[in-house]
Amino acid sequence: MLGAIARFEVGYQLRQPLFWSTTAVLALLTFGAVTSDTVSIGGAIGNVHRNSPFVIMQFMTVLSVVGMFVITAFVASSVQRDFEHGTAPLFFSRPIKKRDYLLGRFAGSFAVSALVFLGPLLAIVLGSFMPWLEPERLGPFRLAPYAFTFFVLVLPNLIFVAAVFFALAAVTRSLLATYLGVVVFMVVYLVSAVLLEDIENHFAASLLDPFGGAAIDLATRYWTVVEKNSALPDLAGGLLWNRVVWIGVGLLALTAGYVAFDPARDGGRFRRRRRALPEEDAPLAAASLAASFPTAAQDFSAGTAWRQFFHQARLEVVGVLRSIPFLVMVAFGCVNVLASVSFGERLFGTSTHPVTHLMLQNLEGSYVFLLVIIVTFYAGELIWKERGLGLHEVYDALPTPTWTTLAAKLAGLATVVLVFLGVGALAMMGFQAWQGYFRFEPGLYAKGLLVSGVYFLLAAVLAVFLQVAANSKFLGYLLMILYLVSAIVLDSLDFDHYLYRYGSTPDMPYSDMNGYGHFVVPFLWFALYWSCVALVLYGLAILVRVRGTEPSWRHRLRQAAARFRGPVRWAVAAGLAGAVATGGFIFWNTNVRNAYVPGDEAERRQAEYEKRYRQYLDMPMPRIVAVRTEVDIFPETRRMEARGHYRLRNQTARPIGVLHLNLDPRVEVKALRFRPHKVVRRDAELGYSIYRLDRPLQPGEEMALDFDVAVQERGFVNHGSDTSLVANGTFFNNRQYFPLLGYDEDRQLVDRNLRREHGLPPVRRMPRLDDRFARRNTYLGRDADWIDFETVVSTSPGQIALAPGYLQREWTAGGRRYFHYAMDAPILHFYSYLSADWAVRRDRWRDVAIEVYHHPPHGYNVERMVDGVKRSLDYFTSEFGPYQHRQVRILEFPRYARFAQSFPNTIPYSEDIGFIARVRDAEEDIDYPFYVTAHEVAHQWWAHQVIGGNVQGATMLSETLSQYSALMVMEREYGARQMRRFLKYELDRYLSDRGGELVEELPLMRVENQPYIHYRKGSVAMYALKDSIGEAALNGALRRFVAAKKFQRAPFTYTRELMAELERATPADRRALLADLFESITLFENRVTTALATRRADGKFAVDLTVEAKKLRADGQGVETPVPLDDWIDVGVFAGEEKGGAPGERVLYFAKHHVTAPTTKLRLTVAEAPTRAGIDPYNKLVDRNSEDNLKRVEGATSRATGR
Amino acid sequence: MLSISNLSKTYPNGVRALDGVSLEIPRGMFGLLGPNGAGKSTLMRTLATLQEADSGAVKFGSLDVLRQKEEVRKLLGYLPQEFGVYPKVTAETMLDHFALLKGIARPRERREVVDALLHQTNLWEVRKRKLGTFSGGMRQRFGIAQALLGNPRLVIVDEPTAGLDPQERNRFLNLLSAIGENVVVILSTHIVGDVREVCSAMAIISAGRVLLTGEPRQVMAGLEGRIWQKAIERAELPAYEERYEVISTRLLGGRTLLHVVGDERPGDGFEPVAPDLEDAYFHALRRAAPAAAAAQAA
Repeated sequence: MLGAIARFEVGYQLRQPLFWSTTAVLALLTFGAVTSDTVSIGGAIGNVHRNSPFVIMQFMTVLSVVGMFVITAFVASSVQRDFEHGTAPLFFSRPIKKRDYLLGRFAGSFAVSALVFLGPLLAIVLGSFMPWLEPERLGPFRLAPYAFTFFVLVLPNLIFVAAVFFALAAVTRSLLATYLGVVVFMVVYLVSAVLLEDIENHFAASLLDPFGGAAIDLATRYWTVVEKNSALPDLAGGLLWNRVVWIGVGLLALTAGYVAFDPARDGGRFRRRRRALPEEDAPLAAASLAASFPTAAQDFSAGTAWRQFFHQARLEVVGVLRSIPFLVMVAFGCVNVLASVSFGERLFGTSTHPVTHLMLQNLEGSYVFLLVIIVTFYAGELIWKERGLGLHEVYDALPTPTWTTLAAKLAGLATVVLVFLGVGALAMMGFQAWQGYFRFEPGLYAKGLLVSGVYFLLAAVLAVFLQVAANSKFLGYLLMILYLVSAIVLDSLDFDHYLYRYGSTPDMPYSDMNGYGHFVVPFLWFALYWSCVALVLYGLAILVRVRGTEPSWRHRLRQAAARFRGPVRWAVAAGLAGAVATGGFIFWNTNVRNAYVPGDEAERRQAEYEKRYRQYLDMPMPRIVAVRTEVDIFPETRRMEARGHYRLRNQTARPIGVLHLNLDPRVEVKALRFRPHKVVRRDAELGYSIYRLDRPLQPGEEMALDFDVAVQERGFVNHGSDTSLVANGTFFNNRQYFPLLGYDEDRQLVDRNLRREHGLPPVRRMPRLDDRFARRNTYLGRDADWIDFETVVSTSPGQIALAPGYLQREWTAGGRRYFHYAMDAPILHFYSYLSADWAVRRDRWRDVAIEVYHHPPHGYNVERMVDGVKRSLDYFTSEFGPYQHRQVRILEFPRYARFAQSFPNTIPYSEDIGFIARVRDAEEDIDYPFYVTAHEVAHQWWAHQVIGGNVQGATMLSETLSQYSALMVMEREYGARQMRRFLKYELDRYLSDRGGELVEELPLMRVENQPYIHYRKGSVAMYALKDSIGEAALNGALRRFVAAKKFQRAPFTYTRELMAELERATPADRRALLADLFESITLFENRVTTALATRRADGKFAVDLTVEAKKLRADGQGVETPVPLDDWIDVGVFAGEEKGGAPGERVLYFAKHHVTAPTTKLRLTVAEAPTRAGIDPYNKLVDRNSEDNLKRVEGATSRATGR
Repeated sequence: MLSISNLSKTYPNGVRALDGVSLEIPRGMFGLLGPNGAGKSTLMRTLATLQEADSGAVKFGSLDVLRQKEEVRKLLGYLPQEFGVYPKVTAETMLDHFALLKGIARPRERREVVDALLHQTNLWEVRKRKLGTFSGGMRQRFGIAQALLGNPRLVIVDEPTAGLDPQERNRFLNLLSAIGENVVVILSTHIVGDVREVCSAMAIISAGRVLLTGEPRQVMAGLEGRIWQKAIERAELPAYEERYEVISTRLLGGRTLLHVVGDERPGDGFEPVAPDLEDAYFHALRRAAPAAAAAQAA
């Protein structure tokens, strides 16, 4: 019987459209995510294979969380359907046991849920065979990962979810109550995920996630690419327990539901009984009918049509707003976005102020996308509502114009979109208020949400059109899905013009400084263009709308011809004319006034540049030794004019007869003057020209090169709109718009897959460490090193213009503001120009002027930055050597880019980094505005005094040393405890990011501009070295290094010279550490296995520790080999409870021990009852499992503390 | 008033639903009688502007019903054979909405019309109830209320009494006949009683053809003195069917009451009986398709 009921249930559900539509949606979503980067499930795929076990697990875990809503629909319907339809008595009057009924229904609906999830799995398999994917991004097909994911992750999740909500549905018998349960569960789940994020005990956290995601994360968090591509986690430890626990919870819930289910109780507790009304025996009123019937005038004017439209639209809106799927979507969206803002935008665990544009960004990412589903689904629902109810014959025979009904449905859909967006805005404002942020910007919310809403409004018109034209709900959905998928496919094929991608508009980034800036105009034009197209679609929908019961196309076309008159004809004509006009205007802007370069064409040009000119890579060029410029910035018109003067010198030993110049093709060259020459080649497309000098430049001889260039942003472009010249917050550097000498390696294609596609050989990221020839250049460029610099910048009267150098003079002429800057010390040929309307905060440190130029509302962290500058100057001048300038300026620029960058005496700093950081409690939060400031100030030494040659390890000299310098300033300010927290983040980032390495992980001293190495590992390594040899010794070495190398000429220094200084400062017995930290990739596996305390007669405690240590060396691909131990490692014993990252309140014992064996037994004596003890308790060494370094001390402890 | 000439319609699946139908329909109640599948609904939907015809013409006064659909809709009241409602909307709201869609734009007037119709269809007491909770009869009355909005001059009701209990049916027919005095009301049904009770003119159609038109009395008069009845045992029926032109059988007190048609008294215990409309109906059907009619009658 049970089996029969289950089979019946499966059969029933498989006939429902819900099953097929959800399977299709999940499968398509997965297919999209596997085959493109536009769709992502739980984050981007990154560098691992698109069908790697890691990706399969990630996708399916996320889908099984999202799928909760679907599963609930299946299981709830299975137990509740009979009560809804009133068929329950039919079942329970028969001799069916409660057990058979309930378990049969559960088994059936559970099986159906499991079937749904086979869809996405198949989609991954299928997707990985798609021809447009690069074979390099795919692994071989293996069944094991799919089976593992399905049986270990998906099925237990399904058992848990299905059981819990089946039980809830069985007990409440109300769909609404069950879905409320789902939403509540979702809220609790997401909130607890946020709360658990901080938990120190990863094991507990991994156990508490019912979907196993945290357990998988824990098991795989430091996996390298190779492991992610091939390995599966062991079904043991946290993962095993997690699965067991949650299956158990599910079964418990099922049992509880089973016991509480009472088939005799009819109807739901939460649902009012629906009872047919008794037939009243009414008297016949017919006799008087005709006489008493009031007559009313019928009016078929346009006014009535509008009234009908509004009335119908209201009906549609109310219908949707009250429907369960809509409410579920809203609830889900709110939960999702609230979770994302609570998680979001953190650096080193420090959050940001909940400024409105960040809220909008979160809405965009975690909320607004649901509108795709809402629009698609409700377009079908609304268009088919009357036919679904069997009301269409009545409706279609009414004397209502066709346009009103369709317009009403569209307006209804549009209102639903707007309501949905409005709810999102309210949720975000609620969040802001909760966070104590009261600078509400409803206007910005309205703008931002309309910007993202326009697409969905347009999509609504398309969806309605497709439903009407297809004249079949299913076909309409299918066509809409095809449209959505086509957007992804077109994108991946680089068909990226928005003129032929329905509803698409250019990106519209927002910056507090610049608002929506120049992005508004193109957005509005494209929106207008697509609105015209939508109007045509609406007109066509009226024409082909089936009214009545005649679906054949022959009749519909005849009908359409008959309907094509009056307003419909005008609407279609106006739409077409508008689309042609606006489309033409857009085309003129994007393709005539500006060059339209599709993504693949841009890549082709990059490849072509390399193919044509890389041959000149090592051709000797003169060097720029002095630069004088006059730059005029016109922020309102987005124009820049520059007249520059280079002094070039031949620093080689041979005459130089040819000059190669690079200039961005967008730059208009008005004049280019230098000694008499002939043009050998002028490549306008790639901006590369070759000149032969009539008289070669002799060794040591100098020549002048004058240029007069202009950049004018004209109209607008399709994509990649320039963000350098903007109305408020202009920021560009010399490499963008000024001539560059010789071949520019920065313009090459980097991505290995793209290079292969374009037939380019693999290229070294950097010359080898010992390539002495390469060290004739700094790693910042080939055409210059140290230069003399002077500039005059002008801008609009409301703005300040800035460039490196000291302000010599400021004046106004011709309605413009002029600033003259000159440098007193040589600087690198790398300088920036900025112009904006800033507030300025001024301060001093000794004779150094400190200035912070910031967007007036962004004053939150300005004091921290000023403070950071002062503390940094204190430390660096006393430890490393004098500061070469008399000024430090921090300049805020719009968030089109996210970085801070140190130019000589000038530090441009993105509004997204630090300016809106919210450091609530310097004890708890890491003060990263302070840290970033210190790092950038440190660059005034590490890069702007000592600069590495263009070989491996160059960024260790600039970035790692700046990172170390900033760490030391932070440690002075916030103490060692904060440092340990910071380093924990750094170590974690290093270990997880090395998993994303594309080519080869290198030791620190050979780093090839790999951020996870020169920043993250750099911090850890330098701190460990300081810990071992002492701050004074280390800083002494650095001071000597600066003194020897500052403002050095070619050949430039390299890491071997730094290593030599470090070796001198390191005692012989600790030098092995240098090899571990800098010369190799070394990993430790340290743990404590026993910790036992005994109280001695004298009241002290003897602590017996067994510690295990293991040291591994990894090669560039992550293959590890053990190496013998000969290391000084910390051993610590602590008392009191763990607090804020510290292992205990008091340190009872802490010393370095010389560890030479895999297992070491130690007996230590401490004065107090210990609580925890272990090896490397502060995680100074690179150790992937830091959890087991400390252990609770057993034995006397509890007794001792008990007294 | 309404003149249908030579209307034909064949569905894509080959079913010939209308086959040269010509009818003249005067003011008043017109009954369209026919078995299920005779083409009644197709005809009704065509008249209600919902369906196309392959050939033929329909004129309502001076209007071309097949072409001037929008004009026709302004005069039309239509109650389809089956129809649904928005389940979560109250009767009053829904009726008000329909009234607006029918062009009754002024809220006061609309209010009056809606109230009057709710009273007359006996839905006043339940006007605040959601339509989803209505019984079949109430829903049917709501349907007629909806069809009567806006003083229609052409009212088309398709099988309105199917599924109603006798009392509901009575009430419904009364309502119809009350309005049928000044306008064209076409009532399609397969229940002879409906036509007999309220229609002043009628037609019988089967398999897409008009078998017979006229006033019910005329139709019955054509069979005067030719209908004979006899009560027999059920087992004897096949023998009788072989020997006589049986037009209907009906059970009466456990015995089978047989009606046969014949110009002369068959003897054999047959009694003369005054023809009723049912006899005329079955007779017409039998003549058109003897086998089908027999099956129907059985």
